[in-house]
Amino acid sequence: MNGAEAMVKCLELEGIKTIFGYPGVAIAPFYDAVGKSSVRHILVRQEQAAGHAANGYARISRKTQVCVTSSGPGATNLITALATAYADSIPLVAITGQVDSHLVGRDVFQEADIRGATESFVKYSYLVRNADDIPHIMKEAFYIASTGRKGPVLIDIPHDIQLAEMNKPFAYPESVEMRGYKPNHKINAQQMNKVIEAIRKAKKPLICAGGGVILGHGEPEVREFCEKNRVPLVSTIMGIGVLPKNHSMYFGMLGNNGKPYANRAVMSSDLLIIVGARIADRAVPKPESLEKQVSVIHIDIDSAEIGKVLGPTLPLVGDVKEIFTMLNEVDLPKCDENWIGTLEQIKHSTVDQRKWSENKVNPMELVKVLSEKMDPDAIYVADVGQNQLWSADNYVMKEGRFLTSGGMGTMGYSIPAAFGAKTCAPDKQVVAVCGDGSFQMSMYELGTIAVNKTPLKILVMKNRYLGLVREHQEKAFGSRYSGVELFDYPHYDKVAEAYDMGYYHCDSNETMPEEIDRFLQHDGAAIMVCEIDASNNVI
Amino acid sequence: MKGIFSVLVENHDGVLSQISGLFARRGFNIDSLVVGETEQRDVSSMTIVSTGDQRTIDQIEKHLNKKPDVIKVRRLEENRSVSMEMMLIKVGCTPANRSTLIEICSIMEGRIMHVSPRSMMIEVHGTPERISDFIEMVRSYGIIEMQRTGVISLGRS
Repeated sequence: MNGAEAMVKCLELEGIKTIFGYPGVAIAPFYDAVGKSSVRHILVRQEQAAGHAANGYARISRKTQVCVTSSGPGATNLITALATAYADSIPLVAITGQVDSHLVGRDVFQEADIRGATESFVKYSYLVRNADDIPHIMKEAFYIASTGRKGPVLIDIPHDIQLAEMNKPFAYPESVEMRGYKPNHKINAQQMNKVIEAIRKAKKPLICAGGGVILGHGEPEVREFCEKNRVPLVSTIMGIGVLPKNHSMYFGMLGNNGKPYANRAVMSSDLLIIVGARIADRAVPKPESLEKQVSVIHIDIDSAEIGKVLGPTLPLVGDVKEIFTMLNEVDLPKCDENWIGTLEQIKHSTVDQRKWSENKVNPMELVKVLSEKMDPDAIYVADVGQNQLWSADNYVMKEGRFLTSGGMGTMGYSIPAAFGAKTCAPDKQVVAVCGDGSFQMSMYELGTIAVNKTPLKILVMKNRYLGLVREHQEKAFGSRYSGVELFDYPHYDKVAEAYDMGYYHCDSNETMPEEIDRFLQHDGAAIMVCEIDASNNVI
Repeated sequence: MKGIFSVLVENHDGVLSQISGLFARRGFNIDSLVVGETEQRDVSSMTIVSTGDQRTIDQIEKHLNKKPDVIKVRRLEENRSVSMEMMLIKVGCTPANRSTLIEICSIMEGRIMHVSPRSMMIEVHGTPERISDFIEMVRSYGIIEMQRTGVISLGRS
């Protein structure tokens, strides 16, 4: 058994069914081994898409997934996808080919120091020096990616090591013993008691749920906590889906681009319970004023998140599922109904001041109608830009999933991530929603979708601009638009035709619901273009 | 405030760059960083001295702990640990003022490593403060060049 075969054997033992990648000479032995195995390889059209597809697959399967590229430019093309996964704590194992060991460091053809280049975007990385190390490296890589705060792990493997025969018989380790990595925090009983006491005393508690709740599979426990104790909840963009939109305890997404009433709820509370959220600038623009007004419990699996942005809080480090299971066993007084009443009142008295153009399609209505018409367990993948914020703001969450690149804000995420999600869950309805800018950033992936006959639905909000930058230039630079106009290309009907996809088009609110029905019912992959007036803004 | 971290790390390639990269990326200060072997071949020891407010020093400890290659982080209190540094310093001196320089060396336990007609090289070790004091004492002779090792530190108990 050579190194490449050993790696593929490890993938099989990890239960990996599908990997996404792009070959090259430096990873050719690995591809030879994949071809002879039970692992399905899906060829993408550019390496970044391999990372995003594995990301979408990982978020739906809730397991570590794999992407693979060659050396040099193949590996560097993957960096944005690694940074995207790292920012959102998505578990990936990325395998990159490397030039022959004896050539490493000599700047030979297609050599890149990918470990050095990805240092700040991966949880950990390896350079394989000996084929005999492969089983324990692979085991560790999957372990590190999927435990504690999840994230991408990179394995760089030189071409000659892939070809080298193993000296020892192949044996996959049962467990991992790393003296520097102990991700399973035992929950500190004293801190837990302080948290319980603080919740008991609070008159106006509020949960702020982040993506960590979903990553830790803690939605049922958090939901039970909210329902049992009548504690209301707001979410960050990554926490959308912890509670359905129409849940009586849900009070919207907070932040710059969230619901004003969610922000008012935060400021009116007397105890904010932050769970699995980074308190990033878009969600909490002024952490200084928050920490002055509200007492905060900060629950996170990553102790370094505590105190990174927010000042004195009551910290509790641990796994969300475990913590809320424990909290649900405690008898807490039900939350004061006046508090819920106040929030209801805030919600209903907050007037949306935004003006919408009468022309073309109203993007807010579009997201509402689309998501209401989608299956209850459908997967909605929003790209980045105005489309993302209109989506997050208006998406009608039922029992499905809402995916987006929340941390890194990587344009072009939606199409490959939706492809990965659909590959993972072929029976579920998956819709990618993007703008005309983000669509064109991943347009090449239509080839992958067409070849694999993946019945993915892609909705493009077309306003001929990089809308969110345009909006920023309007407000911050006196409407001096610079470098943001996309004009009328491409001809989407022709693009759809080129890839044998269905094509739907809509330019008015009247025809929109019917057109969405036809689009969603289309047998096979389809693109729907909705014309949006460029004057529509997010804020 | 000062943070002195005694960090045990896996002794393999790329670990130093991971640690220094962490400080650079997050805007943490490095006053000094010393790496060396320990009694175990596969473990290296780093002593990192940093300055920052309490929150920054706490964050440094947490981020160091997150690295899988970091085996152990100990935050050393200045009064409950022993810290040492070494310096080589070359100062100008002529036959006329050589004897006063020798006198400073003998009071402050500087060891004369080399003498030339126009300069003298001295080795000093001790606490960082002591080394700084020595520099002040010889500054007027003219410092030609000098090198400090940075602090190494061990907890007392």
